[in-house]
Amino acid sequence: MTDIGMIAIGAGLAVFTGVGAGIGMGIATSKAVDAVARQPEASGKINSLLILGLALTESTAIYGFVTALVMIFTMGR
Amino acid sequence: MQTPSAGKLAAIALSLLVGILALLVRRRVALPAAGEAGYAPAKKKRRLFMMLGVLGLWLFSGLVLGLFRVERETLEVTISPARVELLGISTSTSVIVAWIVIAALAVFAILVRVLAIPRFQETPRGLQLVLETAVGAVSDFTKGKFGGRRNEALAAYFFALAALFVGSAFVELLGLRPPTTDLTMTLSYALITFILINYTGIRKKGVRGHLANFAKPNALVTPFKFLSEIAIPISLACRLFGNMLGGMIVVDLVYMALGAFSVGIPAVLGLYFNAFHPLIQFFIFINLSLTFIGEAAE
Repeated sequence: MTDIGMIAIGAGLAVFTGVGAGIGMGIATSKAVDAVARQPEASGKINSLLILGLALTESTAIYGFVTALVMIFTMGR
Repeated sequence: MQTPSAGKLAAIALSLLVGILALLVRRRVALPAAGEAGYAPAKKKRRLFMMLGVLGLWLFSGLVLGLFRVERETLEVTISPARVELLGISTSTSVIVAWIVIAALAVFAILVRVLAIPRFQETPRGLQLVLETAVGAVSDFTKGKFGGRRNEALAAYFFALAALFVGSAFVELLGLRPPTTDLTMTLSYALITFILINYTGIRKKGVRGHLANFAKPNALVTPFKFLSEIAIPISLACRLFGNMLGGMIVVDLVYMALGAFSVGIPAVLGLYFNAFHPLIQFFIFINLSLTFIGEAAE
């Protein structure tokens, strides 16, 4: 296999971190929706907690994305 | 500029005609007052003509601009932006764009201070209301999480950081590469947070107390605690960098896909990617910074 082929496969594998992030964010959103359905007047607080949690969970997916980018752009030559 | 073929010329003329005609017809559809019977269908008709007119004018502008294009470009994304020579030192263009943003913000701040603040009244309206809401939001949030008398400076620093983030993202609408898509820039902001964390820890507990924190509850966890201390600014930097770079790549892809027709649509996208998204990332940034600063202070 050529060098650039391995780099491409490696970069593709690095983005797999998005799977965990997606599942986690889906579960978090479903629990938030449950909580709002149970107590609608707390929806403001739940909303801001949800946004905070989602942005933090997304960071693992972003780490994988950044790793893939660094792989593609700096390992070429 | 290429000379258009006959079909393209006909398309240009047709789209211009359809656009202007639709807008003119829209003016002639009468709109009765809000409560009467013919209001809803008249409004619907007006909206239909407006959409037709805007579509026609958009096609016209796209076709005309397409005559000036040379060839289709490929998508070029680099991790670090281009560097220029400035007085013998090689600086990256992000730094220069950041200076432009800082200069613009400083001029705006001076104008507000000199012209607007002496005219503030008891009940706020207009610009005063916007400024008071923004400053109050950041200040209350900072004091809520890490309260104290000496936190005016901290709240002011975070507001300045918010202005810098949003200003940097706005620059993308002008076609320049925003400074927050450079890993070195975000790493600098994260390093300032790191310095703040340690400074607060040392001020509250002294150097020995702050370092003794690494040996709780047992001296064996010291290397792991050091590692997680180092991971804090790196994770802050990478999160911001990755989000901003992802947004920039999406907008670049839209520009490349639409080609000459990208009039107006990237501006609507820019409303999300360059105003809302940086604000959320800023909110996360200061939330985490304040959490760690508060943790270092106890």
